[in-house]
Amino acid sequence: MISNEMNASWPSQIAAVIRLELMKSFFARRGLWIYILAFGPALLYLIHAIDVTRDHEHRQAMVAAHPVSTGALHLVRQGMTQKEVEELLGEPYLKNDFTRSGRRRRGQEFSIYQYTDGDSDFTFYIIDGEVADIREQDRCNLAKDSAIFATVFQFFYLRLAVFFGCVGIFTNLFRGEMLDKSLHFYLLAPMRRELLLAGKYLAGLSAAVVIFTLGTALQIAALSWHFEPGQVTAYMHGRGWHDIIAYLAVTALACAGYGSIFLAAGLLFRNPILPATVVMLWESINIFLPATLKKISVIYYLQALCPVVAAPEADTPALLKLLISSADFPPAWLAIAGLLIVMAAVLSLAAMRARRLEINYGTE
Amino acid sequence: MTDDRVLFDNVSRFYGEVLGVNRVTLSIPPGITSLVGPNGSGKTTLMNLMSGLVRPTRGQIRVLGIPPDDPQRLCRTLGYSTQFDAFPRGLTGYQSVAYFLRLFGFDQAKCDRLATAAIERLRMGEAANRKVAGYSKGMRQRIKLAMAIAHDPRVLVLDEPLNGLDPLVRSETIALFREYAADGRHVIVSSHVLHEVDQISDQVILLSNGYVVAEGQIQGVRGEIQDHPMQVLIRSSRPSMLASKMFEQDHVVEARLVEDGTAVLIKTRDANRFYRALNHLALDGIDIEGVAPVDDNVNSVYEYLIGGEGSR
Repeated sequence: MISNEMNASWPSQIAAVIRLELMKSFFARRGLWIYILAFGPALLYLIHAIDVTRDHEHRQAMVAAHPVSTGALHLVRQGMTQKEVEELLGEPYLKNDFTRSGRRRRGQEFSIYQYTDGDSDFTFYIIDGEVADIREQDRCNLAKDSAIFATVFQFFYLRLAVFFGCVGIFTNLFRGEMLDKSLHFYLLAPMRRELLLAGKYLAGLSAAVVIFTLGTALQIAALSWHFEPGQVTAYMHGRGWHDIIAYLAVTALACAGYGSIFLAAGLLFRNPILPATVVMLWESINIFLPATLKKISVIYYLQALCPVVAAPEADTPALLKLLISSADFPPAWLAIAGLLIVMAAVLSLAAMRARRLEINYGTE
Repeated sequence: MTDDRVLFDNVSRFYGEVLGVNRVTLSIPPGITSLVGPNGSGKTTLMNLMSGLVRPTRGQIRVLGIPPDDPQRLCRTLGYSTQFDAFPRGLTGYQSVAYFLRLFGFDQAKCDRLATAAIERLRMGEAANRKVAGYSKGMRQRIKLAMAIAHDPRVLVLDEPLNGLDPLVRSETIALFREYAADGRHVIVSSHVLHEVDQISDQVILLSNGYVVAEGQIQGVRGEIQDHPMQVLIRSSRPSMLASKMFEQDHVVEARLVEDGTAVLIKTRDANRFYRALNHLALDGIDIEGVAPVDDNVNSVYEYLIGGEGSR
């Protein structure tokens, strides 16, 4: 009879742990830095979007005052005279004339002409009456922003924001209560320690997934906010939804993977900063590891699941290029399976530790 | 036969090199049993061992036949009011008890019913919806007791349960212990205040430096207590008045203001008469904010008893 009652009650026991944990810590002031990590990038993207929008409005105003066609702008070549440029394009919207004063180029006449077709900025550097250099600055486009987002997502958001957010959320689930001397509240309840571990993990996971997937969604929203509705619709009808869902799923899996590791770290170590540092180093050198060791990490599987490969730009330093370069990533199904296996192994270890867990506040 | 007892069979517990308890063999019957000993004697370790919060380095423990490493069964049978004053952050007194009961897997209605009953039993109804963080020590003590009794356990383990309680609540709480004991349950209480032990216990287990040095009926201890004055610290908004009133009592051998004049330290030779007098003063309108035994002299009684046993 009692045995049946005990067996039947485990889902409600897990639910009780989740509810209590969420109530205690979801809006706790001590977790403010986690919200900053999660939502900071979205704020930066929003500032970028506002800047791009203002820049676009400025260009539109300039092109209205100084109309010029894109075709004509592309006709300008190095060596053309200042007069030819003015005849072809008319007055630039911004013009700066200098006379150089340096020892080698003393007296050299130097002019910068800026034109815009409303989308791109063209800057012509004219020295002694001839075009010496041409620079074209594109307005942001979805393809370019998508590549930038992919890089920021993989190398900042996953490796730093989600990583440290999970350190903060999951290591405190047990260690924080040891330090608060309140863990006995749970240990005096008639529940298996594995259930307590499961409840705490699911509570941490719920919090982390809500916070960080919301952070990812807000970043995407902020990033696409300044584009024309038509461009966004076309992107969404293309691979937009697929990419967004993939990014959200990767964020959630990152929380699950790192969460399992840091939950175990909070149980196994008195000072979780040490294991967090070791894990961070391990994840950072993942690209240099032999194939077998690569698989004992979280980032290896997460990168395989990212929808856009973070491609290095031409002027990226060689070491960073090496980090960014896509290794032989496994297919998606294998990446998910691999990640689940890593999580299961780590959580099993944590469950064994939880079963032997003792209250020893005096030594904390 | 032994399934109605709390059994320790040659139990030792070490914290690294430090001894918690050593070679403890006990068979605790139903009734009120006091674990008595100075600070660091192993009382809390013994309680943590029987509640499964720590595990023995060697030996075996059974609580009514249940091993402490089976929390599913043990914690339905045993309620433990620990010495730790911390509660999960942000909870009210009521939520602390109700959420604790939710961990048992009870439905919401049952949790509400049991939590309300336990809180009312400890006369915490009025303050139940306030945050525990704002509670006095006595109120937190009562909420801990409410959590320990809420699921109606057969074994109550209480670590210094009377600490911080005012005289009226103290006597009500002792009555609660007696009621539990009369019902054939175990009430295992730790204390370093011999007067309390004398007042409430059916039997005593005397601990010193991690060893059980004596166990048995209380009468043997009582005679020793009466020869030794008890010290009590009383906090009051009118400490001078309290001190002068107390000093009029013939059993009070000393009354002096301490802690910057916010409290009175009383030394008495008759604890029963002291508490009766304190109740009268409270009824006469002298505000009593807290009562805490600070019986330094108790150590000399232990020394006497322990020395008398000749076991160490």
